[in-house]
Amino acid sequence: MEHTAHIEHHAEDGKKEVMRVTLILTVLTLVELALGFWMMKIEAQGTRLMIKGVIVILMMAKAFYIVGYFMHLKHEIRNMIMTIVVPLLLFVWFIGAFLYDGNSFKNLRMTYDSHKKEMSTKKVEKKEEVKETPEVKKAVE
Amino acid sequence: MSTSTTAPVTTKWWSGGKSPFNVEYGKLMMWYFLMSDAFTFGAFLIAYGTTRFATAGWPNPNEVFKSYPFAGENANAPLVFVSIMTFILIISSVTMVLAVKAGQEMNKKAVVNNLILTIIGGLAFLSCQAWEWTHLFHEGAWWGRNPFINADGTQSTTNFTNFFFTITGFHGFHVFSGVIINIVMLIMTLMDKFEQRGHYLMIEKAGLYWHFVDLVWVFVFTCFYLI
Amino acid sequence: MSNEAILHGSSAAVHEVHGDHHHEHHHHETFISKYVFSQDHKMIAKQFLITGMVWAVLGGLMSVLFRLQLGYPDAHFTWLENILGKFWVKDGRITPEAYYALVTTHGTVLVFFVLTAGLSGTFANFLIPLQVGARDMASPFMNMLSYWFFFGASVVMLSSMFVETGPFSGGWTAYPPLSALGSASPGSKTGMDLWIIAMALFVVSSLLGGLNYIATVLNMRTKGMSMTRLPLTIWALFFTAVLGVLSFPVLLSGFILLIFDRNFGTSFYLSDIFVNGVGALPNEGGSAILFQHLFWFLGHPEVYIILLPAMGMVSEILSVNSRKPIFGYMAMIGSLFAIAILAFLVWAHHMFVTGLNPFLGSIFVLLTLLIAVPSAIKVFNWLTTLWRGNIRFTPGMMFAIGFVSLFISGGLTGIWLGNSALDIHLHDTYFVIAHFHIVMGVASMFGMFAGIYHWYPKMYGRHLNNTLGYIHFWITIAGAYLIFWPMHYEGLAGMPRRYYDYSIWESFKQFGDLNRFISTVAMIVFATQLLFLFNFFYSIFKGRKVTAKNPYNSNTLEWTTPIRPGHGNWPGEIPEVYRWAYDYGKDGREFIPQTEPVGADESHH
Ligand code: HEM
Ligand SMILES: [Cu+2]
Repeated sequence: MEHTAHIEHHAEDGKKEVMRVTLILTVLTLVELALGFWMMKIEAQGTRLMIKGVIVILMMAKAFYIVGYFMHLKHEIRNMIMTIVVPLLLFVWFIGAFLYDGNSFKNLRMTYDSHKKEMSTKKVEKKEEVKETPEVKKAVE
Repeated sequence: MSTSTTAPVTTKWWSGGKSPFNVEYGKLMMWYFLMSDAFTFGAFLIAYGTTRFATAGWPNPNEVFKSYPFAGENANAPLVFVSIMTFILIISSVTMVLAVKAGQEMNKKAVVNNLILTIIGGLAFLSCQAWEWTHLFHEGAWWGRNPFINADGTQSTTNFTNFFFTITGFHGFHVFSGVIINIVMLIMTLMDKFEQRGHYLMIEKAGLYWHFVDLVWVFVFTCFYLI
Repeated sequence: MSNEAILHGSSAAVHEVHGDHHHEHHHHETFISKYVFSQDHKMIAKQFLITGMVWAVLGGLMSVLFRLQLGYPDAHFTWLENILGKFWVKDGRITPEAYYALVTTHGTVLVFFVLTAGLSGTFANFLIPLQVGARDMASPFMNMLSYWFFFGASVVMLSSMFVETGPFSGGWTAYPPLSALGSASPGSKTGMDLWIIAMALFVVSSLLGGLNYIATVLNMRTKGMSMTRLPLTIWALFFTAVLGVLSFPVLLSGFILLIFDRNFGTSFYLSDIFVNGVGALPNEGGSAILFQHLFWFLGHPEVYIILLPAMGMVSEILSVNSRKPIFGYMAMIGSLFAIAILAFLVWAHHMFVTGLNPFLGSIFVLLTLLIAVPSAIKVFNWLTTLWRGNIRFTPGMMFAIGFVSLFISGGLTGIWLGNSALDIHLHDTYFVIAHFHIVMGVASMFGMFAGIYHWYPKMYGRHLNNTLGYIHFWITIAGAYLIFWPMHYEGLAGMPRRYYDYSIWESFKQFGDLNRFISTVAMIVFATQLLFLFNFFYSIFKGRKVTAKNPYNSNTLEWTTPIRPGHGNWPGEIPEVYRWAYDYGKDGREFIPQTEPVGADESHH
């Protein structure tokens, strides 16, 4: 039970770390929100896409801090970290293949399904009308 | 366990007779359970992404999620309410860390206090979600019903609301079970169960679960409200 | 805190209990706690095995029934009507609804209940604690739950056979819209609801089990049992568990979305649908391909979940009975690892012609064909293990060798199918049926039989009858090839799978005799399995008693336990391990158990 001695020592460090990580998470979230607000004013698709990319990166950073510090993974033995991080790499292909095929399916629909194509250009009335659900239903049918 | 520093450098971790990762099996199982749960949520979110990629238009979240409690009909405050929800969850994660740390120091009082705070945070989050769902429901949104039109003014499919309710619902279900787990932990602490055992390892596992719920929200928040 | 205490998740006091755990448990054991809600991994293993065997008989019987239809499409078996009732048989013929229900349930039951739960459920439970040197699983309680969730799944699945509209009939892959729309077919109604519930329970069961297996292999190994001293069975079962833990959740997500589509008016998988008698449906924007992706993200790893335990057991049995070390131990682990990784990367090879983007398909071709590399390594190593061995042809060994043969035959046709251009012709034909029955169905069954014959003495303290074993083996292997080999030709000729009656097609009439032949052999093989069942149950009570602790002169730890080990496995201390599991024929000694310390003048391997 030699570790009781360590604990006093660690406790202070630990609390400091928690506060630091809390601060980082807060700042990251605020930056995300700021980007979100900024994006509302932007029309250009390219810029929007870039902002979205940045937001995703910030999201990964937040995930890193939660897993690494709150869930304490960074302080575990290296091999254990590997057993968790390596399988997560499967997500790369999981996401890539799924999204690529989703996109391809849209292109197929837009090329060969004239109804879908028409729907994707036809504007519907503004929201006030749409609010009443029965009408929406009819529109869909 | 902050024992990584206490272990001699020469330890042969893999030679059997001990845990190669210096953690008890329960924590290991919790970690791998969370891995599998990550694949559950991952599959949901990827399905959502795939459908979005396969659909020509999509509603603008800022048009949809722009209200907050007591705001009246014409509220136009996108991202405000959801950022409050996000912070509630982050703060509850912090109190959970503090509860775990207190457990490692065998400080029962601090464990109890922080657990109570965490539970309150969880309940607050669930209430927010309940309000948001009710609000959307009154606007005509539900599974299979989507009153919102696409950002470009075209007719939207129902998959926007379908995915929103399914995924936030599944996350809310996790928050709910997390709250239940934390209540059980609280009761066990109050009954001195952990003092008798001589350690608060169980709270560490509950903590892992709770942080995971927070982690998932990071992704849900980004995928549904921001981009 | 000491590592020991951490290892067992509790204070030092509990650690001591672990030391003689075994005595603790003998005092108050009732019938219920010993045979029903048992937490002993060996009993749970037997529960999985026997439930799996019940399902194997039911699933096999289903195949006999639909083979009856395929082999004798014009015959009228009026007596069947009295046994099965109107839904199933009309006018002496299996009804089309029943035919599809039978095919679907046969597939589901054999893939999931027999070859997943019955195979890895049995042998992971039985072998992991015994071979790594642990008293029990990491969490015996969760282990028990794992069985009972499986039992619940079984009950629900079985009950779906008795609902008025029949069990689900849209194929084991449950593609929407048949699985999503109650109005699509009779089986898509209550039968499908029950099917999904059963499968959801099954996923929970397999997660509970899998987490336990992983934690046990990592944490509970006895002193000296480093990962590279583990028998290959354990490695295989470990990777199996990893595959399950990471892929079953994806299936669960897919099913949850399916439940919403079925019951709550969503359109995740539905778009532009017209149902006869109902009209056009309002669903818009979903895609059935999404379901296929989610399904096969599990579905492909699942086939390896079925195969890997068989590979592991075969490796062990081949080595023990060749009296030679397994050839290329590290290569065997490496190839298991490679297979496990690749299993996650190739799922869309099942979707080459269902609307998958062709360019994406070409990447899946590449990844799929890569599987041939680790597969070939394994085959090579098995053959070289046998090479010039001092082979003992026990029934277990016969089945293990049969496995290798089947794996080669079935794996080769995988390479055909893995090429998307060839798959345009072969997809959804009997060629695919032949491929996966040989490589997965029969091969894994052979692995399972090998395991049962080999470890039966450890399970029940008695031997199976060898003569019956040999009869079982020869008829089954000959029958399996006679059933499935001709299907390759039918498939190459374009004969599609999942048709009710081929005799009305001009192009497939020519196969009438062949189909009758296949059906006949199928019935003979099925009857032979009953012989095995008889052997199994008879020997539990009347089999020749095991007299030696280590009847095979084997190295692994399970043979250091008493002939009929109690809960806790070893009466005294858990033995310590000093060497790998494959020191056969070393330094002039026939075998050296893992528990024997390395001698001073011993050679290196
Ligand atoms: C070299 C190795 C293998 C390759 C390249 C391969 C490739 C393929 C391909 C491309 C298909 C899809 C055929 C189609 O539907 O058109 C397929 C089907 C299948 N394979 Fe394999 N395979 C291999 C080994 C295995 C193994 C080892 C197993 C099982 C243990 C297996 C089980 C299955 C099953 C169950 C199906 C059919 C599922 C269904 O449609 O109902 N395969 N294989
Ligand atoms: Cu496959």
